[in-house]
Amino acid sequence: MSAAAAPLIIGAGKQDVPAKILAPLERAPRGWWLLLGASAALSGVLVLCITITLTQGIGTWGNNIPVGWAFGIINFVWWIGIGHAGTFISAFLLLMDQPWRASLNRVAEAMTIFALVNAGVFPLLHLGRPWFAYWLVPYPSALGVWPQFKSSLPWDVAAISTYFLLSALFWYLGLLPDLAAARDRVTGYWQKRVYGVLALGWRGAGDQWKKHRVAYLLLAGLATPLVVSVHSIVSLDFSIAQVPGWHSTIFPPFFVVGAIYSGFAMVLLLILPLRRTLGLEPLITERHLSNIASLMLAMGLMLGYAYIVEAFGAWYSSDPYERYTALVNRPGGPLAWLYWLTVAINVLAPQVFWSRRARRSTPVLIGVSALVLVGMWTERFTIIVGSLTRDFLPSSWHGYAPTLVDLGLLAGSLGLFGFLFLLFIRWLPTVSMSEVQRLQFQLHHGEQPDAGRDG
Amino acid sequence: MSSLGDGPTRRTFLKVMGASVGLAGAASCAPPDEEILPYARQPLEAKPGVTVRYATALMLDGLATGALVRCRDGRPIKVDGNPGHPASLGGAGVFEQAAILSLYDPDRAMRPRGGRRVATWEQCVRAIRAGLGHDGGGAHLILEPTSSATTLRLLARVRERIPRLSMYWDSLEPPSPQVRQYDLARTRVVLAIDADPLASGPFHLRYARHFAQARRVGDDMARLYVAEPTPTPTGTMADHRLPLRAADAAALLAEVLLALPAQSVSAPVREALTRIAGERRHGPWAAVVARDLAANRGRGATLVGARQPRITHAMAHLLDSALGNIGATTWFTRSALLAGAESDGIAQLATAIESGGCHTLIVAGANPAYSAPADLDFTRLMRKAGLVATLSGYEDETAEASSWFMPMAHPLESWGDGRALDGVASVVQPVIRPMHGGRTVDELLAALMGENADGLALVRETWQAEARPDAWTRALEQGVVEGTAERRIEVPVPTAEIIESGAKTMRPPALELVFRTDSKVHDGRFANNAWLQELPDPVTKLTWDNAALLSPKTAARIGIQTGQHVALTSFGRTLAVPALIVPGHADESIVLSLGYGRTGELSVAQGAGVNAGLLRTRSAPSIADVTAVPGPGPTHHFAVTQTHWSIEGRDHVRHATLEELRHNPDLTSDQRGPVPSLYPPIHTTAPNQWAMLIDLSLCTGCSACVVSCQAENNVPVVGADGVRDSREMHWLRIDRYLEGPPDNPEASIQPMLCQHCEKAPCEYVCPVNATVHSSDGLNEMVYNRCVGTRFCSNNCPYKVRRFNWFNYESHIAETLKLAHNPEVTVRERGVMEKCTFCVQRIRGAQVVAGREQRSLHPDEVRTACQEACPSQAISFGSLTDPTPELAAGLADRRRYSVLHELGTRPRVQYLARITNPNPAMASQP
Repeated sequence: MSAAAAPLIIGAGKQDVPAKILAPLERAPRGWWLLLGASAALSGVLVLCITITLTQGIGTWGNNIPVGWAFGIINFVWWIGIGHAGTFISAFLLLMDQPWRASLNRVAEAMTIFALVNAGVFPLLHLGRPWFAYWLVPYPSALGVWPQFKSSLPWDVAAISTYFLLSALFWYLGLLPDLAAARDRVTGYWQKRVYGVLALGWRGAGDQWKKHRVAYLLLAGLATPLVVSVHSIVSLDFSIAQVPGWHSTIFPPFFVVGAIYSGFAMVLLLILPLRRTLGLEPLITERHLSNIASLMLAMGLMLGYAYIVEAFGAWYSSDPYERYTALVNRPGGPLAWLYWLTVAINVLAPQVFWSRRARRSTPVLIGVSALVLVGMWTERFTIIVGSLTRDFLPSSWHGYAPTLVDLGLLAGSLGLFGFLFLLFIRWLPTVSMSEVQRLQFQLHHGEQPDAGRDG
Repeated sequence: MSSLGDGPTRRTFLKVMGASVGLAGAASCAPPDEEILPYARQPLEAKPGVTVRYATALMLDGLATGALVRCRDGRPIKVDGNPGHPASLGGAGVFEQAAILSLYDPDRAMRPRGGRRVATWEQCVRAIRAGLGHDGGGAHLILEPTSSATTLRLLARVRERIPRLSMYWDSLEPPSPQVRQYDLARTRVVLAIDADPLASGPFHLRYARHFAQARRVGDDMARLYVAEPTPTPTGTMADHRLPLRAADAAALLAEVLLALPAQSVSAPVREALTRIAGERRHGPWAAVVARDLAANRGRGATLVGARQPRITHAMAHLLDSALGNIGATTWFTRSALLAGAESDGIAQLATAIESGGCHTLIVAGANPAYSAPADLDFTRLMRKAGLVATLSGYEDETAEASSWFMPMAHPLESWGDGRALDGVASVVQPVIRPMHGGRTVDELLAALMGENADGLALVRETWQAEARPDAWTRALEQGVVEGTAERRIEVPVPTAEIIESGAKTMRPPALELVFRTDSKVHDGRFANNAWLQELPDPVTKLTWDNAALLSPKTAARIGIQTGQHVALTSFGRTLAVPALIVPGHADESIVLSLGYGRTGELSVAQGAGVNAGLLRTRSAPSIADVTAVPGPGPTHHFAVTQTHWSIEGRDHVRHATLEELRHNPDLTSDQRGPVPSLYPPIHTTAPNQWAMLIDLSLCTGCSACVVSCQAENNVPVVGADGVRDSREMHWLRIDRYLEGPPDNPEASIQPMLCQHCEKAPCEYVCPVNATVHSSDGLNEMVYNRCVGTRFCSNNCPYKVRRFNWFNYESHIAETLKLAHNPEVTVRERGVMEKCTFCVQRIRGAQVVAGREQRSLHPDEVRTACQEACPSQAISFGSLTDPTPELAAGLADRRRYSVLHELGTRPRVQYLARITNPNPAMASQP
């Protein structure tokens, strides 16, 4: 990577890492209350819209026949996708021996968990009768009926619950030494006790470290395949169906790439303001930013390839319905502007990252990341809604328009995400102190950084 | 357990509790003061939980259509056709089917009133009789046209007893004394001009059935020519359809007549015809039709719409008589409607009120404040009419302006009688006691004479004189009174003078405005019926609305688009109506449905459409001169159930000409037979394997099946906004596609319902096993297992699944719940639903057969859609033991599966539509 020359930690060995990282635990950073208020208000919108949906029915959304799935499923796929970058950074890069991840993994994992919280809301809400959602879980029911294992939706339930559980465990395990550090540093009576309980008696003893590192690595090993499998299964929600535009074998890799892509965009959007506000520039350096930007460029190129293969596959199948959807309706139908917007954003926008300056420019990074988040959302809209609006019998073709509740749920989920993230930066160490300190030690003493894989 | 000792055990606790609850209840329940009798003996025919069918008849425009009403536990739940009645022949139209919902309409008037105060029937009658005085001077009575012998008898007596009471019919012109009858089953060539015989009019069910017989695919298949202003179901069936302004109908007929061999028409008549034919704009078309008609002498028929002036009817008579069709396929009878000669129409009533000669006005069953021509300004007149007493089913526009009001009984609550178009009489028997104490017109007439007779006594008295005692019982059982059909009469062929006088009055307008009764709300009487409001129009698929229908060219000339308002000015009256562009509509013609824009206390009809009657004047009640300019108002968003009309070159609706079929009998072979599949073959172990067959050659798209399905299966309505959001719930819809140039495209229609795929795409994507396959081939929907993911609907290539977006049934009125079929679950919010092949009927029949220890007969199970279909386009049965029709259809080489290539193996099969175009027309445009 061209950014290899830039340091991973500026002034390695001279930083009082814990002091820097634990500062927000003692005092709210600038503007924190303001942002918290705003995101709490948006979360209120979410609660309101959920209440409306649950009390009145799914009819308050814009869905119709033929468009049975719309905002609910788009939001679900979008949030799940965002979560993927967290796991990619923390587990996949750990296994791949990429030491630069140390400064980012905490934020990325938190992002994963909060994104999953949001993602979990939508499949539940979009059910006609959400109070029976547990019927999708395989349990020996007194009804004597099992879920239908041919359907990809029970696979979804399994994949996402596994993913959430593992991500939470992995995150918490990584947090343990830092929680102990917080316990040792904070001065408040209650704070000390809360961190004390959460630290589970971590003393930093050698055998504890040894076991911790083994467990951490094992969990990373378990989490890594999930980066690929979860979104592959999500993509099967579409590709096992015969809807033209869904029924495509390229979907699993296509969806995984898109997921990681949008996740990196969200990571950038989160860490760019964070490093400035919390003064973390020495820990999250331009090298980190540049690495992520390079990855985004790669993902953008892969997506461009996927778009071409999708269209080619439809043409090659000679299926008239597939051809109509991929070659007529998508590029030229009523929603064509969204399709071309998607292509422009997801494929063309990241091309600026060929430039080294762009990879290090905060405004460019923020701009492209925000665009990519929009683009990945519209991509799902194009696939899900666009394909459903025009399928086999033209008599049933019908457009789709979201309602205020739909928009409120999307905005509200962004609010909830922000709200949880703000609580996180206030109460938990945003950078893994133990790992950064270790990396700092290795860099300072001229050792080969090992990303913590020596367990 | 006994160690629990002195504490009460669970059992004793329950005993004590039970006893105390019982005592508390007993204290509050004393017998009523009146003597009551225990239900010791089951009343005759009241079988709990068993459906009983009663024959009766339903009236529309004064004429009867026979019906069999299914009653369950004393409440009617479904109207079927009466196979023994000439107007039904077993089919049931949308109006008859929807009568069930009107019966239970919570908006129905429930109590008599005087002014704003609640009154009794007796008080109302007393007030009216006071107004009548001893001889009825200054009193006026207005009635709807009727064919009822009882009403006729009572009117004669009223005339005797109250000699100065003036009587009027709520119509502009008295009905014609004679009517044309047709036997379409024997025709080879049919010419319909501005008529929709297959889907509207008093005999449309009969005509649809008979035409379907004449239309059997084969060498002697009948041919249909249709010329009409706006596409209708009949026009959709046509082999050759000519968009023709209603005002030009006479000109076209003249051209056809002139194209006949010269000796067919006398010289003076030819001269008059030449003048009527004018520029002969339809020459080639008319010539081909004339040649075809002439080649099929005695086997042709010409039908002209009721709104056409007498001259057009006279010319059709001339044509049919010149072709020797009179007496063969068509003949005349006396009209079954009471001769209007002795009474006047509503215009005379208006004059009488205007001149101050009215101090008492009795409105019996009519709604002149809404239906009278606008230039009469009847609502204003009613204020000058002194005492106005109205008998009506609703607190409608007329009721609003009335000082006394009496609720009218619904036809299903009434005793009465009526005659079909051909004169066959039926006794109308009630299938439920009047729910809101309503009375009939007959009862009101009796009350005017101071008699307190009930409806049954009045009807019996009428028929006592005419029929033997046992005939009464038979009439009630059969639904028809034997030997009452009108005999054929001779009607002289119109003379040259008649044609001549017609030619003089003919002045076709530059832009015409055609008023039509609506396919769903008729003249407005069904406007409060939600099933009908939400029923898609067979052609435009419009619901909950009317619109100014016009051709693409005319719209472009005026400068408007669909949804924009067009300001129509006719005889000095202006009305802004949202426009709807209809491909195939005649140019320079605007068609507007009556029956919308109601203002009475009708919660369903509220806000639906505009009142076309505001433009209708007595001088031009059917076809008027109009000018049209872009009008004010925001763009209107129509609630239509289908928004995409092109079939996009896909082959879901197979069709071919008879000629093509001869050359390629196996034309659908690519859409049937085995398809490769990775799934194992399905188990077909059950003794019955259900399947349906729909003959697209016979389906007119009349939509009777849609309402029948709705009634049978408790299908909810979603309202105009629901339809706009594409959330209509119909389990059975009729798709309509257009191909070809927009000025006269070829339309094809296709009833679409759950295809009961053997390898159903919906089933494998349901995460909770809520949609599964039965061993007898049904795709079943388990409502109480459904969690509502809607994945099944997404994966259904036919898009026939319907989702309960809200709790549609939770807010409906208590009375409407009585309309529900108790055999069918009412679905709650959040579950998917769809056509079940009327599984309740299948299982019901199986229970009966099981009790009798036999297997099912082939035709024992009939689905609701199949029963209603007037042209018998739908057959249903078991593949293992099919009915002859089903077996023939399955063996037919026109058979195909929609989306066959997907490998879904649907159990609903279609027969390709075969048309019989005239090769001679091929050279014509």
